[in-house]
Amino acid sequence: MLSLKNISKSFGGVKAVNKCTFAVEENTITSLIGPNGAGKTTVFNIISGLTKPDAGAIRLENKNITGMPAYKIAQNGISRTFQITKVFRNLTIRDNLRIAKNTNDDEMKKVLQSVYLEKSLDTIASELSYGQQRLLELARALLMPHTLVMLDEPTAGVNPRIRRELRQILKNLKRDGKTVLLIEHDMEFVMDISNRIVVLNEGKVLREGKPKDVVKDKRVLEAYLGK
Amino acid sequence: MPSIDILPQLIVNGLIAGSIYALAASGFAIVYYVMKFQYFSHGAIMSIGAYLFFAFLNLMGLNYIAAGLLTIAGCIIATLLSNWFIYMPLRKRRATPTVTLIASIVLLILTSSLILAFFGSSTKTISLTKYNKTFDFGIFTITAIQISILIFAILLFLFLWFVFKKTKLGKSMRALADNKDVAQIVGINPEKIYNYTFVIAAVFGAVGGMLLGLEQNLYPRMGIPIIIKGFISSVVGGLGSVPGSIIGGLFIGLAENVGVLFLPTGYKDVISFSVLLLFLLFRPQGILGVKMRNV
Amino acid sequence: MYEYLIAVFAYIFIYIIIVVSLNLAFGFTGLVNLGHMAFFGVGAYTSALLTLHGTPWYIALPASGLVACTFGALIAAVTVRLKGDYFQIVTLGLAFIAIAVSRNWVSLTRGALGLPGVPDIIKNNFYYMLFLFAVAFLSVIFIYWLTNSEIGKIFQAIRDDETAAAILGKNTYFYKVLSITISTFFAGIAGSLFAHYINLIDPTIFDLEFFVIILAMLIVGGLASISGSISGVFFVSIFTTAMHFAFTSISPELIGAMRQMLLMLILLLILIFRPRGILGKVDV
Repeated sequence: MLSLKNISKSFGGVKAVNKCTFAVEENTITSLIGPNGAGKTTVFNIISGLTKPDAGAIRLENKNITGMPAYKIAQNGISRTFQITKVFRNLTIRDNLRIAKNTNDDEMKKVLQSVYLEKSLDTIASELSYGQQRLLELARALLMPHTLVMLDEPTAGVNPRIRRELRQILKNLKRDGKTVLLIEHDMEFVMDISNRIVVLNEGKVLREGKPKDVVKDKRVLEAYLGK
Repeated sequence: MPSIDILPQLIVNGLIAGSIYALAASGFAIVYYVMKFQYFSHGAIMSIGAYLFFAFLNLMGLNYIAAGLLTIAGCIIATLLSNWFIYMPLRKRRATPTVTLIASIVLLILTSSLILAFFGSSTKTISLTKYNKTFDFGIFTITAIQISILIFAILLFLFLWFVFKKTKLGKSMRALADNKDVAQIVGINPEKIYNYTFVIAAVFGAVGGMLLGLEQNLYPRMGIPIIIKGFISSVVGGLGSVPGSIIGGLFIGLAENVGVLFLPTGYKDVISFSVLLLFLLFRPQGILGVKMRNV
Repeated sequence: MYEYLIAVFAYIFIYIIIVVSLNLAFGFTGLVNLGHMAFFGVGAYTSALLTLHGTPWYIALPASGLVACTFGALIAAVTVRLKGDYFQIVTLGLAFIAIAVSRNWVSLTRGALGLPGVPDIIKNNFYYMLFLFAVAFLSVIFIYWLTNSEIGKIFQAIRDDETAAAILGKNTYFYKVLSITISTFFAGIAGSLFAHYINLIDPTIFDLEFFVIILAMLIVGGLASISGSISGVFFVSIFTTAMHFAFTSISPELIGAMRQMLLMLILLLILIFRPRGILGKVDV
């Protein structure tokens, strides 16, 4: 559904992403893993249109979306969350969700339930705990009409209870046949949930494939554990 | 159109005006560089400098050296008070640069009212101007006061260069300006450096204000137009850059004065603002180029 | 006394339009337009020039809004794409440029002499005050409706986190330009109303002192709140009026200075200790 071909991006002489090529199939959970600084968030930013690639092409269901502005890419059905939560702090939960989709309270309550966020729609986002804000950001991303949702380290910086809830949410997404691209560090969880894994190291795709194959790959082990 | 042989005079006039603009701009710029906000109350300090000098010299009859030193001391005190009562509380509550900018403008206007309340609205003249000799060099003339403007400006800029490049304070200022968090990790105390930054700016403000007061007359609002020129000079030179502000100030001074050769009379005032507009539209990073990133 | 009260309210209604429209850009969208009064002044000069050359007021008034918002749209179109700081710097520069242009483009503005004899819309001050109330009322209703609509929510989302708004499919550039355009339109309208009230327009309307009073009304009242802006206007106006009557023995020049000093002190206290003002929904 989504394919990246030879995507490259440099920042001031440093190649953050180097001829990155991989694909995300429909109805799968694909995990993007790699050591810190491997370029994973940069890839996310390029796909979602926040960063323009220096070279390469991205296709979404056969439509070329390379270099499109972020809002257009979102309108084409790519939804995402961020490593550090970006909710609209001064707006209510309702208004946060309204930006994603201008719909009625019932649909909003349903998506809140799906992320286990039991708070009134009138609550102001800044009154939520950090973990709850993460759930709100996720609800917002899921509410926006999309064919692909990208989650950047959804469990980073949250307490164990919220982490468990997030894992369950992802299992539910998998059960519902959603297409998800995930950046995640918890290998146990990645192995458990992913249909495919893409390993990034120093901006390059090291290995792409089924979890059980990737985890046995010598180069992958070296990249993570050092030579 | 005036003839080309007044060009040397215009250049001299331009350098003199430019020096005062550069003094205003460098105080503004050094605070922006280290503390990341637009320091409009520097105009207030300059006007305080002018009026204090007038008070010490004319009203209290001190000699000009004593008056000058006391003025510098007074400006330092005023600046540190503004830090203590306004800028530090704002930093404590993590105010945005926008808020601090607004506060500095408010302080600027508050000062002009204060000066009006204390000294009255009538224009004042500093008595030293009576002794102002004019030197005729044939292709241009220059007064003693104007020569002292150039000398003081050069001395202060050299002093600033020395502090920045050769002293530990300068290194600390650059470190803070570059990355506040990392600077703290290596043991730099931000509040201490901020105080020193303000003191340096205060000295520039005091000297700039005194010279401005000698060259033009004093009136309560005088801080506003001069800091506007300082702002323009900083933008033109490059907003994050202290040498840029000096270059910008000289550039504006020269542009204004040499510009009369090419423009109809009465358009002198428009020059600096036209230059500002051109730079904002086509080169917002200024002459020395400080990057303005895209959102 | 009666005449004096009419004047106070006339100013209040004009200020309400200025402050509420500034709040739309500043408080609701997060766009710090420090040159808001430049657009107010453009509206004032436009209306003055048009009516002095025979244009009827009912054409000059909307025209002033349109001229102001055209400038606003153009400037926004060029500047809102760049880093937040830059927009502030440009608009502040604009405020200063407006002073210079109004003083020096003598063939258009008569420079420091200004444009006297601007015709009234309604000669009777009381009825004009009612007219001002009506325009202010309509403007506030419109902006209130706008801020509660989907567009208004998008404005606020952009203020809170522009990147997040973009990845939710909103063309933030368009909305930012729209916000400034609407905001400057009302600034221009207010300028026109002002010109036809005091019947003289000169470069002093661009002075920093005037803008700071508007800022005081905005900040004391509170950002992102229509009722806040109205409260702010009333607070500052009542304060100013009270000061007028309090110290009758001191010279008027000194009263003016003290009034300004106290107002500036209040504004500083709000900025430091109560950034939400009276009714604000966000901190300044």
